[in-house]
Amino acid sequence: MKYDSIVIGGGHAGVEASLSLARTGNKTLLITLTKKSLSFMPCNPSIGGTAKGHLVCEIDALGGQMGISADANCLQIRMLNMGKGPAVYSLRAQIDKNAYHRNMLAICEKEPNLDILEDEASEIITDENKKVCGVKTKSGEIFECKSAVICVGVYLNSRTITGTVIKNEGPAGFSNATLLTQNLANLGFEIRRFKTGTPPRLDGATIEYNKFIEQKGDTNIQSFSFLTKKTPKNICSCYLGYTTEKTKEIILNNLDKAPMYNGEINGIGPRYCPSIETKIVRFADHDRHQLFLEPETLDTNEIYLQGMSTSMPSEIQKQMVASVEGLEHTKINKWGYAIEYDCINPLNLYATLESKIVKGLFCAGQINGTSGYEEAGAQGLLAGINANLYNKEKQQIILTRDNSYIGVLVDDLTTKGTNEPYRMMTSRAEYRLLLRQDNADIRLTEIGRSVGLVDDIRYKKFKRKMQSIKKAEEMLDTIIKPSKMLDEFLAKYNESPAPKGLSLRALIKRPNITIEAIKKELGYFKGFNKDVLNQISISTKYEGYLAREKQLIERNKKLEEKQIPEDLDFLKLDGIRIEARQKLAEIKPKTIGQASRISGVNPADITILILHLK
Amino acid sequence: MLSEKNSTIVALSTSLGTGAISIVRLSGEKAIEIADKLFSSLKNKKPSEFESRKLELGFFNAQNFKEQILCVVFRAPFSYTGENLVEFQCHGGVRIAEGVINACIDCGARLAESGEFTKRAFINGKISLDKAEGMMDMINAESEAEIRAGFNLLGGALGKVATASQSALVDLLSDIEVSFDYPEEDIEYTTKEKAKNKIAKINEDILSLISTSNAGRQIKDGISLLILGEPNVGKSSLLNSLTKSDRAIVTSIAGTTRDTIEETLVINGLKYKIIDTAGIHETEDEVEKIGINRAKSLISGADMCLCLVDCSKEENDKDREVLSLTKNSKRIIVGNKIDKTNKPRQNADIYISTKSEKDVNNLKDLIYSKTADKNITSGLVITNLRHLDALKRAQKHLENALLNIEFQTLDLISVDLNLAYSALGEITGSTTGEDIINSIFSKFCLGK
Repeated sequence: MKYDSIVIGGGHAGVEASLSLARTGNKTLLITLTKKSLSFMPCNPSIGGTAKGHLVCEIDALGGQMGISADANCLQIRMLNMGKGPAVYSLRAQIDKNAYHRNMLAICEKEPNLDILEDEASEIITDENKKVCGVKTKSGEIFECKSAVICVGVYLNSRTITGTVIKNEGPAGFSNATLLTQNLANLGFEIRRFKTGTPPRLDGATIEYNKFIEQKGDTNIQSFSFLTKKTPKNICSCYLGYTTEKTKEIILNNLDKAPMYNGEINGIGPRYCPSIETKIVRFADHDRHQLFLEPETLDTNEIYLQGMSTSMPSEIQKQMVASVEGLEHTKINKWGYAIEYDCINPLNLYATLESKIVKGLFCAGQINGTSGYEEAGAQGLLAGINANLYNKEKQQIILTRDNSYIGVLVDDLTTKGTNEPYRMMTSRAEYRLLLRQDNADIRLTEIGRSVGLVDDIRYKKFKRKMQSIKKAEEMLDTIIKPSKMLDEFLAKYNESPAPKGLSLRALIKRPNITIEAIKKELGYFKGFNKDVLNQISISTKYEGYLAREKQLIERNKKLEEKQIPEDLDFLKLDGIRIEARQKLAEIKPKTIGQASRISGVNPADITILILHLK
Repeated sequence: MLSEKNSTIVALSTSLGTGAISIVRLSGEKAIEIADKLFSSLKNKKPSEFESRKLELGFFNAQNFKEQILCVVFRAPFSYTGENLVEFQCHGGVRIAEGVINACIDCGARLAESGEFTKRAFINGKISLDKAEGMMDMINAESEAEIRAGFNLLGGALGKVATASQSALVDLLSDIEVSFDYPEEDIEYTTKEKAKNKIAKINEDILSLISTSNAGRQIKDGISLLILGEPNVGKSSLLNSLTKSDRAIVTSIAGTTRDTIEETLVINGLKYKIIDTAGIHETEDEVEKIGINRAKSLISGADMCLCLVDCSKEENDKDREVLSLTKNSKRIIVGNKIDKTNKPRQNADIYISTKSEKDVNNLKDLIYSKTADKNITSGLVITNLRHLDALKRAQKHLENALLNIEFQTLDLISVDLNLAYSALGEITGSTTGEDIINSIFSKFCLGK
């Protein structure tokens, strides 16, 4: 069989890659170990959160699937960081993980250009020019293709660890993939071993919820997708509780049984997602740690115990759970475990996510050393977009640090690399004020359109919104003449009077004034919707700050745009320190801007690099 | 530190010091616009009206600062950098050049980084690779000496203080950032009040560092001393006895010293540059007139004027002219030729005889006590303009944060703090932002 593209792995990266390829007209094959794990969420039952919500909105703006399906299968939705400013507002939804899986599987099966095969990929076949030309499977099948996207998640040579029980398997009891690592190593990829973990799952019917603090969803509900018309609903609550002195005691008394501490686990784990045993050892002065009870699915009573990720033996896990107030009599459905897996060094990739080693081979998701469904989905989408462009022999796209969190994510991975599973954080984005959730569509819809993923419906809706914003902007210089109504309005919001009147712009800039109040009480901006007014409000209120960030971007742009030829031999560049030359040769930056972000390359080296180019 | 496409940069293009002239270069989109605000020709034309590449004489007019200088405009792309470029040619002396540079910065220019003019010339295709490589040694030297040396200062006192301020910022930023990235953790998030106090403390530290820049300038460039007085009052003899060399031609014919000459003198380890001038008086002699005009302009640029009068004679018109020219400047009135009279016939701050060593040493002590910055001996002084510029920017961002913290959300405040952090990074060498994330994970217990 002959395909345009083959996607290996059907997790969050693989599904975005497959759908974007199929939707741009590529005959695509998705090879997955089992359809049961397609778009499965083996860890927390939620999508979004800080910085991750941004990624989901960006996936949506580019024409990806995650935002739409998250909205459709949500159990509870909350906007985090309210009150800290629009740059850091982050949407997070609890998701029915079974429903999400079923929804995604149905979408993939309905996609006309997409075939799904249950099998294990065993070899990337390359031609004499080290270009991808096919994929071989465990069952011996060979499929020809122009490009391939590897999205194998945590399945490569993975093993799960619960105390002394070690299983050679993938997450949630799915079987692992044992053949591709060796093939990737033979091709020249640098293989690493990372680790992550998950907490035990509880039988919700045996929990005393009244011992916990209920956390309800927002009343003012927002959605991830620009296309979602039906507002998601809050169906379930989450619950907050704490570990106890006893929990701490149990863990400290049994550290010799903890695989994290007795040498059983060698993979590198993430600092932001430590196991409970790590938290208790590293932060010994803390008497308690937070736990959240989160619903997994409406199909069952199963509860995810956020905060208690552990690889302790099951016997200890039982004691740990029972030491929590309200969980004394709770049954455990599934044991927590740590999982170790093979991944590659993302420095082996270009910012297009195409590998530097094999042409036409793309990698996305946890194989690149990231963690998180959203990080995976974002990379899968970008890899799918670029595999399509590669198939059509068009210029591939690079998302940049100044247009998206996806750009930050990929640039960090392919320029700085990572020594632990990489999680997106708002702190990683230097242009945070400009990269907001609320303007993801404004930042990226045109790009999505240009790569063929934004359909007419979305594009027309987007254009209408942009026109509406423009109209509203034109009104900003309208002068509000002095009147009793204006005086009273200003007084009501504790703002100083404006005896000569003032412009709408000046009024919006007043800290205590909201644009909604102007609309409601003064009658301006009639006919403009909330979303449009929100854009106007943010761009007016934060005008000075936004302008400053734009200036910073301009400051870096010229060199960001200055390309470095692919065949440049960095090792031969006189005047640059040897250490910096080696770093440059390893990472092969494509632009001067990228080169300047490599650790170990300093401004003097960059100056000389510039002089060598031209 | 990469080039800003639209920013306008300014720097001294001649070597720093009291050479005969200094050239300040201003390059970028807004170069001519900025020059318009500061310069007008004798015929009252603005630089934007000047013909390209034609020298114009006029006045550079900034706050507290007015100088007669030359200005030339190069319009893009026909300039060294390929951008709009304005050159100001002014009288020698650090003060004047610095005044011009500071005025340009106040009008929106930014201090150029090492090699930045050449970098722009290269980026804009004005110089070829050959030429660039030819210049590379030079730029290497500059960047090596300044950028690397700058970073090497890390071990020094400045580096320590800058690093301490930067770590305090990292600490504060991680407190703020953790609340953005981990809003649901069981940790005590920072309050605006606490953040404000911390910012104020860092701001104070940086302000006190900035205040040492005057001492830094004195250490690096020396203190300029201008010797003034009527012809034959003994200026050159004073110069000689101060420096014990015979560079100046000493004769008894008035007006021998036709150009300014310069000598270096060290008092208590501090470098002084002594400038001797032609005697200040009206004359028809063209060459001497230039010398006198220069002397007048040097007065405003000098750190200290030594006004030499002959105390064996009554005050005359020439003495009065000298005293009136310097009445608003820092000065010491030195009564010379005390050996010729029993009772000084003019008031002076100190009476000497250039023939006597002892008097000269007393004068040196007086000069030192009246000029040396009190920070000189503290060991921690800013000597580098690039460092000063970075500190000033950091301080500006901190001030902005303090101004806004009451009524703005923290996501905005963190913008200012991050900018201050990276400005300090230009001194400490650390601007990756990675240390903020590292600090978050080392300080807080986070995660699911």
